[in-house]
Amino acid sequence: MMPNFLRSLSTTCNNRDIQRKTISIVGSGPSGFYTAYRLLSKSKIPIKVTLWEKLPVPFGLSRYGVAPDHPEVKNCEETFTSIANEYQKDNGLHDFQFIGNRTIGKDIPLKDLIEKQDAVILSYGCMGDKKLNIPGEKDTNGVFSSRQFVNWYNGHPEYSTSKVFSNFDWSRIKNVGIIGNGNVALDIARVLLSNNIGELWDKTDISPLAMKCLNQAPIKNVKIIARRDFVHSKFTNKELRELWELERYGIFGSISKKYFQLGNLNISNLSRPMKRTAEMCYEYLKPFNERTKKSYKKYQPLVNVGETQRKTWELDYLKTPTSIKRDSNGNITALELFENNITEDNRVIPMKDHVINYDMDLLITSLGYEAKPMDEFKELGIQFEHGHIANVEGRVQNQEGIIVPGLYTAGWVKHGSKGVIAATMMDAFNVADGILADLETFPSKPSVEQDISFLADNKVEKVSWSDWESLNNYELLQGTNQGKVRAKVLTVPEMLAHKHQKPSY
Amino acid sequence: MLSLTNCISKKSSLLWKPLTSGRLFSSLASYKYALRHSTFNDPTISLRRHPKAINFYKSQVRSFSSTLTTFHGHLNPPKPGEELHITFVLKDGEQKTFEVSEGDSLLDIAQAHNLDMEGACGGSCACSTCHVIVDPDYIDALPEPEDDENDMLDLAYGLTETSRLGCQVKMSKEVEGLRVALPAMTRNVSNNDFSNN
Ligand SMILES: Cc1cc2nc3c(=O)[nH]c(=O)nc-3n(C[C@H](O)[C@H](O)[C@H](O)COP(=O)(O)OP(=O)(O)OC[C@H]3O[C@@H](n4cnc5c(N)ncnc54)[C@H](O)[C@@H]3O)c2cc1C
Ligand SMILES: NC(=O)c1ccc[n+]([C@@H]2O[C@H](COP(=O)([O-])OP(=O)(O)OC[C@H]3O[C@@H](n4cnc5c(N)ncnc54)[C@H](OP(=O)(O)O)[C@@H]3O)[C@@H](O)[C@H]2O)c1
Ligand code: FES
Repeated sequence: MMPNFLRSLSTTCNNRDIQRKTISIVGSGPSGFYTAYRLLSKSKIPIKVTLWEKLPVPFGLSRYGVAPDHPEVKNCEETFTSIANEYQKDNGLHDFQFIGNRTIGKDIPLKDLIEKQDAVILSYGCMGDKKLNIPGEKDTNGVFSSRQFVNWYNGHPEYSTSKVFSNFDWSRIKNVGIIGNGNVALDIARVLLSNNIGELWDKTDISPLAMKCLNQAPIKNVKIIARRDFVHSKFTNKELRELWELERYGIFGSISKKYFQLGNLNISNLSRPMKRTAEMCYEYLKPFNERTKKSYKKYQPLVNVGETQRKTWELDYLKTPTSIKRDSNGNITALELFENNITEDNRVIPMKDHVINYDMDLLITSLGYEAKPMDEFKELGIQFEHGHIANVEGRVQNQEGIIVPGLYTAGWVKHGSKGVIAATMMDAFNVADGILADLETFPSKPSVEQDISFLADNKVEKVSWSDWESLNNYELLQGTNQGKVRAKVLTVPEMLAHKHQKPSY
Repeated sequence: MLSLTNCISKKSSLLWKPLTSGRLFSSLASYKYALRHSTFNDPTISLRRHPKAINFYKSQVRSFSSTLTTFHGHLNPPKPGEELHITFVLKDGEQKTFEVSEGDSLLDIAQAHNLDMEGACGGSCACSTCHVIVDPDYIDALPEPEDDENDMLDLAYGLTETSRLGCQVKMSKEVEGLRVALPAMTRNVSNNDFSNN
């Protein structure tokens, strides 16, 4: 490693002698990248942004969350790519670098970043699972969290080759339960129900290892089980519409009259989206020819499907899971639940004497992703409470509630796992605007280093933006060869091996 | 000159439509709220579609530029004699008017002129970051939004009765002189927020 004095000498000579305010961003998902984008496009004072990423690849949940059949949502990656390319030249006012394959808080202490940077932004998302905390959840075969399942089908290197999935007997999966009815639950339902409809998946970048397993599953029914009632459904209309539209493949939805009857709803009190949800369900539950608007008649339903081909999904409400039943091999057989009441003020009251059982072969708990504190938070006095980093408009608080100067947070780790990319973007912009206001006001710390990439010189390969671009080109080319948008490289060693080979295309 | 109160009373008659009509979000209160929170409540601004009014805009709008040299992105300059005009009311209230061609989407126009409109999904109706609030005078001249646009509008921040997605709205002769406001999506923090004055 270069001695300290030489380093500072070299940084003042390089960069055309510009002394920039230095900013490190932890996590290159939409929140990290949109924060970088806003800082770089709005700052009037020179800044140097270093974007750190745990994986050798950028983009977080845009790459590993967003469903493979929603490629248009991933278009935000084009914006991210263009700013990386525009600002990493180090010949303008600002400078940008991406350093992948480094976990902050593990490979590099957060403390070092805080000490050596004018501002540090924690935008590392939600890396855990919310839990039901019921018997059988942890150790029953065929019970997965949404995050594990989504990571697996999206080819996330920590799950893509996981034995838990590849050794699982998919050939006996007929009945599926999903707990929670957010958009992630609906993504998962769509993937499972359309597992054999090649035209939906063949051209996507879904993991071929996962698709091979899923293809074997003779899925019959997917129950989407919520603890609240219809009007408190969490999904949005675009995702719901996609499920209804699967009727063109012989996949039909239903909602029990007990939970949904248009006449029982107080329409004028509903929000605009919920009014539209109610209308959509009312229309799709009618026979095709009786529907009023042409938009509900876009595709003829495939009615004459054989019994083996016909599949169903169901929106189920007012149930609290209580325990998971299994056979002697440890495979899930059923889920036991209480029926619930819901109060005027939206509290869920499980009725302990109303117990029901649903037979099922697979259970996905889709309760939301969970943010985790870094181990160092305690030592650094950073407050983590209610499932996110304590903050005031993105300014991180310590355990006394006082703002830690120069430390910020954005995205899902700031407020928990909610919000579409547009919301994440707006949040990131707000946080970035706050940072810029602070940076213009506060003097630079004496311990600040202009370039802190040396912190990453400590172990195996770090991944630069150009390394990623070369991997990206490789994935795109492999995709083209296979008739897909992209063929993802599925493991970290392969990603890094590629970095060395850098084949010419 | 049409005043704000005229706008409201003109629209209020068609406010409540039944559930199946496609335009579901309606009440006078929410509409007034929408207006209050859009930038149209500047009484000094005329909301005319008349060519004279456009000239009025041209003279009023600080940064109006009649040269087409600033075009970039994927816009084709309009053919002489076929120019259409659109005015964007920016988040700080500044107005910019542009000469554009039939068929240009508001997203393309905004991006070609470096206005603050994100278009995170690249105009594929999948993100709602191109949300605009249309001057009520023009809303009925635009074709009704399709379901997928409405699905995304559900998620738009600060939704109003005349909200649309910039990537789905295209310029046409029917809406010559169109005026749209960019909703204040982000709270603008500046040094002033931290000083005493
Ligand atoms: C399954 C799923 C599907 C979704 N689909 C859509 C959709 O269709 N449309 C839509 O608008 N929104 C969708 N969303 C929401 C969207 O993905 C989020 O709004 C957004 O990704 C949140 O961004 P983030 O940057 O806060 O978190 P993330 O995207 O999770 O990014 C966090 C990044 O930090 C990295 N990281 C973690 N720990 C460290 C560390 N210690 N050091 C360095 N780096 C670290 C991670 O590897 C990751 O790259 C979906 C979400 C999920 C879960
Ligand atoms: N296409 C898209 O636009 C898209 C796709 C995927 C994700 N996203 C976004 O990503 C965010 C996260 O989505 P998500 O689906 O993971 O989260 P979510 O929308 O918060 O849904 C979580 C679901 O789990 C339920 N739940 C939570 N804890 C529970 C418990 N202990 N017991 C029973 N049920 C429980 C919730 O019920 P309650 O409502 O009762 O709490 C809710 O139904 C959302 O903002 C979503 O819109 C968007
Ligand atoms: S640009 Fe994404 S919805 Fe218009």
